[in-house]
Amino acid sequence: MAGLELKSLHKSYGNVEVIKGVDLTVEHGEFVVFVGPSGCGKSTLLRMIAGLEDITGGELWIGEVLCNGVEPRDRGIAMVFQNYALYPHMTVYDNVGFGLKLAKTPKDVRDAKIREAARILQMEHLLERKPSQLSGGQRQRVAIGRAIVRKPEVFLFDEPLSNLDAALRVETRMEIAKLHHDLGATMIYVTHDQVEAMTLADKIVVLNGGVVQQVGAPIELYQRPANLFVAGFIGSPKMNFVSVTVEAVSAGRVAVAGKDMASIAIPARTDGLKPGDTVTLGIRPHDLSEESGGAIVGRVALVERLGNETIISMQLPSEASWLVVLDGDHNLSIGQNLALSFEPDRAVIFDADGTARHPDLD
Amino acid sequence: MSLVRKYGLSVLAILVSAVVFLIPFAFIIMMAFKDRTQAQLLDFSWPQGFHLWTNIVEVVTTRNWMLLTAFINSSILTVASVTLLVIFAAMVGFVLQRRKTRFNGLIEFFILAGLMIPPAVVPTIWLLQGIGLFGKLHGLILVEVAYGLPFSILLYRAFIATIPRELDEAAIIDGARPFDVFFRVILPLLWPVTVTNIVVQSVAIFNDFTNPLYYLPGNANATVQLTLYNFQSQFNTSYNLLFTNIALITIPPLVVFLFFNRQIVAGMTAGAVKG
Repeated sequence: MAGLELKSLHKSYGNVEVIKGVDLTVEHGEFVVFVGPSGCGKSTLLRMIAGLEDITGGELWIGEVLCNGVEPRDRGIAMVFQNYALYPHMTVYDNVGFGLKLAKTPKDVRDAKIREAARILQMEHLLERKPSQLSGGQRQRVAIGRAIVRKPEVFLFDEPLSNLDAALRVETRMEIAKLHHDLGATMIYVTHDQVEAMTLADKIVVLNGGVVQQVGAPIELYQRPANLFVAGFIGSPKMNFVSVTVEAVSAGRVAVAGKDMASIAIPARTDGLKPGDTVTLGIRPHDLSEESGGAIVGRVALVERLGNETIISMQLPSEASWLVVLDGDHNLSIGQNLALSFEPDRAVIFDADGTARHPDLD
Repeated sequence: MSLVRKYGLSVLAILVSAVVFLIPFAFIIMMAFKDRTQAQLLDFSWPQGFHLWTNIVEVVTTRNWMLLTAFINSSILTVASVTLLVIFAAMVGFVLQRRKTRFNGLIEFFILAGLMIPPAVVPTIWLLQGIGLFGKLHGLILVEVAYGLPFSILLYRAFIATIPRELDEAAIIDGARPFDVFFRVILPLLWPVTVTNIVVQSVAIFNDFTNPLYYLPGNANATVQLTLYNFQSQFNTSYNLLFTNIALITIPPLVVFLFFNRQIVAGMTAGAVKG
């Protein structure tokens, strides 16, 4: 078993740079999730770790070995693909044992390992079938089994759940979490689904445009996003933003106001801020509550009543559109005005360049 | 009336195809049953008497059992050529589809050129003589492979495009070297096209008349199609023996065809839509 170290990793296709210098340390046994929008380079980064893409610049260390020029088979990795990539002409047994066969493992050892993997994944009854006779979830399980038998240092998952239906996705997600717990192996997991990221990860890496935006524990990313991108990407529905002007700066607090909002003092890092600066205020839909005389007044544009909560799309005076999630059922009519308030310490102030100004933790 | 309207065209189509495909075949069979005098009339008449067996014996033993040598030669030629064709065409198709380089356009041009430009006989003979392969069976095998390669590559390449690249990658991660990826993962998946290639190319090569005529002279080297010349000359032709010979050498391609028939269409259309 081993950890990973990425040092200033770069990848270019011709003149197009897709990975622009990624530095990352993954501890042994950690579950790391790469998230980001489509085209952010997360799959490319994973494929570079796997050895399916060449590394243009930087260093990739797996354990104590510099792996830039090492063949995939010698990196001690196993990969699970989005569309399973099972060999259609082989039975499940042969699919799982293919790697061992190539490594010329003796037949009895091979057989034992295959049956062991099948036992872990509870698919002993599927061993004689062909992939075409399996359901999506079963195929994914075989793909995971193929990874397990290799006893890899690092498991790589490339959006393994996105081809499954919703119920199966939840189930398989739990199985992967359990697998990580049982095997204690290092796992790197790529997804665009933030529920998967939040529930599975020890550590989330948010990528955008080939650059790491933030690395941290899931709840840390939710509560203290480093910048506008992470704030908008983590959390569902996404965080609301509004442009405001700094009115006063006092110790540890910034008073802001704007076209959409009455003056309110937000806890924030204050260095370099002066009255008159334009900043962005972010607040999560769940942190807003209905209160007459609240700081924010908007017009209701759409109401989705789910029973346990009500999701309201709201139009602010500046034409900005916000989402509000209120607990319980609220019978609101479209076009009516709604006044909202929030706890000042739930809001986040972002600089003009998008960097968050979280107050310092004690 | 409505029956005619409903089935009329179908019946007509069946009748026309029967005339086109079955009548020549029936003619061959009937000629093979006739004796020399009746066959000389070249008409569509019922055979008088049963002369098939004597005809067969005559055809097979002619010129010191030449037909048997020819069958052996043709079999070696067909099996060897088709085997090489399948492996090389699948390899070229695989690399061409998977590895995009700036030479791809040039390579594709050569493939199309191989299909379009008619083979030049005299320079080829000159070349074969130069490398000592003229009049040798393995020389002709190379010629047949060269002529058949472009078409086989085209068939394979379209199909390989439908095999997800993740399969190659999964195999690479599993520890497969390039030859393992090709022979253990890709080639088995190409079976439908391979069947099509086997049938199309083996029938073409087995039935090839001109290439063996040009490149493989000599009695010991005769292939089955050349044995047809045993029974015709400028002034005198034994039609009964000629047609018996035709009937005999039609059997192997027919068997191949019947054997693989059902899988051919699958291979021809495979790759047309994502399955």
